[in-house]
Amino acid sequence: MKKIVIAALFMVVSFNINGQDSFKDKAEFSGYVRGSFQGFSKNYDLSNVFAQFALKGKYTGKNTIFNAEVWFLGGHHFGEFYNRLEIMEAYAGYVSDKFDFIAGNQIVKWGRTDGFSPTDNISPRDYFFLTSDMDDQLRANLMARVKYRINNSVDIDLIAIPFYKQSNYRFDLFDMGGMASFGEETNPEFKFSNATLAGRLNFELPGAGFSFSYFRGYDPYHGFNLKGIELDFNAPNPMPLIKYSSTPYRKQSIGADFAIPAGSWIIRGEAAWNITKGGSDSLYIPLPSLAYVVALERDFGGVMGIFQYIGRYTPSFEPVFEPQPAGTDPDQVLIYMSQMVDYQTRMFNRKIFGQQKRSNHAFALTARKSFAYDTITAELTTCYNITSREFLLRPKVSWTIADNLSLAAGGHIMTGEKESLYDYSGPVMNGLFIELKASF
Amino acid sequence: MKSIKLITSTLSLVLVTSFYSFSQNPKEISKKSADAIALGSMEMTTTLKIMDAKGSTRSRTLNMASRKFGSVTKMMMKFTDPADVKGTSILIYDYDDRADEMWIYMPALKKTRRVVSNEKGKNFMGSEFTNADMSKPNIEDFNYKIISSENINGKACHVIEAVPVSDESMQSNGFSKKVSYIDKENFLCYKIEYYDLKGKLLKTQIIGDYRSVEGGSFFYYEMEMKNEQNGRRSLLKTDNFKAQSQISEAQFSPSNLDK
Repeated sequence: MKKIVIAALFMVVSFNINGQDSFKDKAEFSGYVRGSFQGFSKNYDLSNVFAQFALKGKYTGKNTIFNAEVWFLGGHHFGEFYNRLEIMEAYAGYVSDKFDFIAGNQIVKWGRTDGFSPTDNISPRDYFFLTSDMDDQLRANLMARVKYRINNSVDIDLIAIPFYKQSNYRFDLFDMGGMASFGEETNPEFKFSNATLAGRLNFELPGAGFSFSYFRGYDPYHGFNLKGIELDFNAPNPMPLIKYSSTPYRKQSIGADFAIPAGSWIIRGEAAWNITKGGSDSLYIPLPSLAYVVALERDFGGVMGIFQYIGRYTPSFEPVFEPQPAGTDPDQVLIYMSQMVDYQTRMFNRKIFGQQKRSNHAFALTARKSFAYDTITAELTTCYNITSREFLLRPKVSWTIADNLSLAAGGHIMTGEKESLYDYSGPVMNGLFIELKASF
Repeated sequence: MKSIKLITSTLSLVLVTSFYSFSQNPKEISKKSADAIALGSMEMTTTLKIMDAKGSTRSRTLNMASRKFGSVTKMMMKFTDPADVKGTSILIYDYDDRADEMWIYMPALKKTRRVVSNEKGKNFMGSEFTNADMSKPNIEDFNYKIISSENINGKACHVIEAVPVSDESMQSNGFSKKVSYIDKENFLCYKIEYYDLKGKLLKTQIIGDYRSVEGGSFFYYEMEMKNEQNGRRSLLKTDNFKAQSQISEAQFSPSNLDK
């Protein structure tokens, strides 16, 4: 299969070279080669080391567009060697001033804030693909997309995604007490009623940009469902093994965003009301909640600063209490164990969904400065979650050595209270990275 | 009778002086100079070369288009080279009566972002040019004074000093004054000297290879900016130019920036 794809790619490249006259100024082929290293975490000396060749092809005609990006990757990812080919994007369509219809594998980002975007539910992410650029984690979905421009300031974007694709977060790598096992994915059945539908009405008016959006489908940011408990009675000290499965849930999301320049400031904001059903009963489904972000952005003497407040309000939030053993006879112990597993699973999912309290609050600050005529950029992102008391620090320096060659170095540091998400992920994902990238 | 003659002579002198002053109005000359350049409606491909004091060169190629729709001039820039900035697009709405608006599309980001546009003095793509050099100057941002006349390449020129009207404007533009050398005959500007916030000469801009274009105006095919303090130079060379762009208004919308 790989050979066929590679052969097809070379055929496409050859076609471009031979057909350059007819495609002049319209067909573009580009890409990059990258070597990336991340290591020095508590659990892994080398957590994410890989070499990558990315090939991009794009054609824009009067009414035709196609775009493809293919990645060839080989390396070592959290203790496993791999070589793989990924079709990142591959889509084609009809385009015009008024109307676009595009079908294929596409990455779509909605929303006007950065990093924390409650209205951005379309494309999944691979949270464990660690590079110098967080946007490398975006993954495409197979979709049909229609964009209609009502006038030069207003457009409607409609999306239909037939097959659900999960985001990837590898809790199997985390040390969660040795009793939890994360394995299989549970995905919705492939049928029309499980498709995702989304729409966005976007305004770019003089002095302000804003939009209203609607999403109905399975959230790529899934939960974890309890699949079973195994007890090995032959072991000297029998301990239960709790099996979790990545399980998506259905939601509707009604969202809005805005960006308003005010002098040298720009104010951005987003909010989404997430409607879910069954959150009280099912462990992997979050409760309905309002997620919101307000951001202020300004250049302070050459330093670009972005300050963000990230909040979530869960009106139907009810605290859950740790069960206590009722007695010591075997039946009571088994009931206690079952209640305890339910409790742990619910608490774990609440951490993932940011629903540990009725109101959750976090702040983030990004500062970025370019030096030496934009050839060196230093960036620092920090985030503190007041509710869960978790802290993130991400420093990065990138240097454009030559027009087509860049070097980036930095680190990821996550820390939090015992049994917080960052406490689990820190020993695996913390570390330093260095990356060399040549573009063509 | 003598008194009448004296009054008449004085009056004539005042009238002549007033007329001369009017025709030599430095603001008017600066406006004519700005209007002489076909920046309102055009399409072009240009190469930007950035050279440091040691002579090493970086290069960027971009397609630019601008067109006036009602009271707003819309300008679009798309970078085609080198590969690391390829696909990056910038859209600017230049209003006569209010702050400009700007959007940026970066392929890696996968979305179009509205950004603050009042940083006129910021370096354009790491070059010695500023964002302000990429668009028509706002005449109302400066107070003007004719300081002398000089010959540049054999052309008689007005030497006009322009000082930002306010501290805010000075900080935004990044210079305390600029001195422009404007042809007395056709109002083309051949040279501009920029002074830093301490009043020291910062940069010299040489504008040349003017060619007349459709619509009766001119366009410069070469523009060089030299930093007098660190020796860096940037050269903007126009490879293709077409006046009177026919690109539709829809193409100048933020929702089309990613194509």
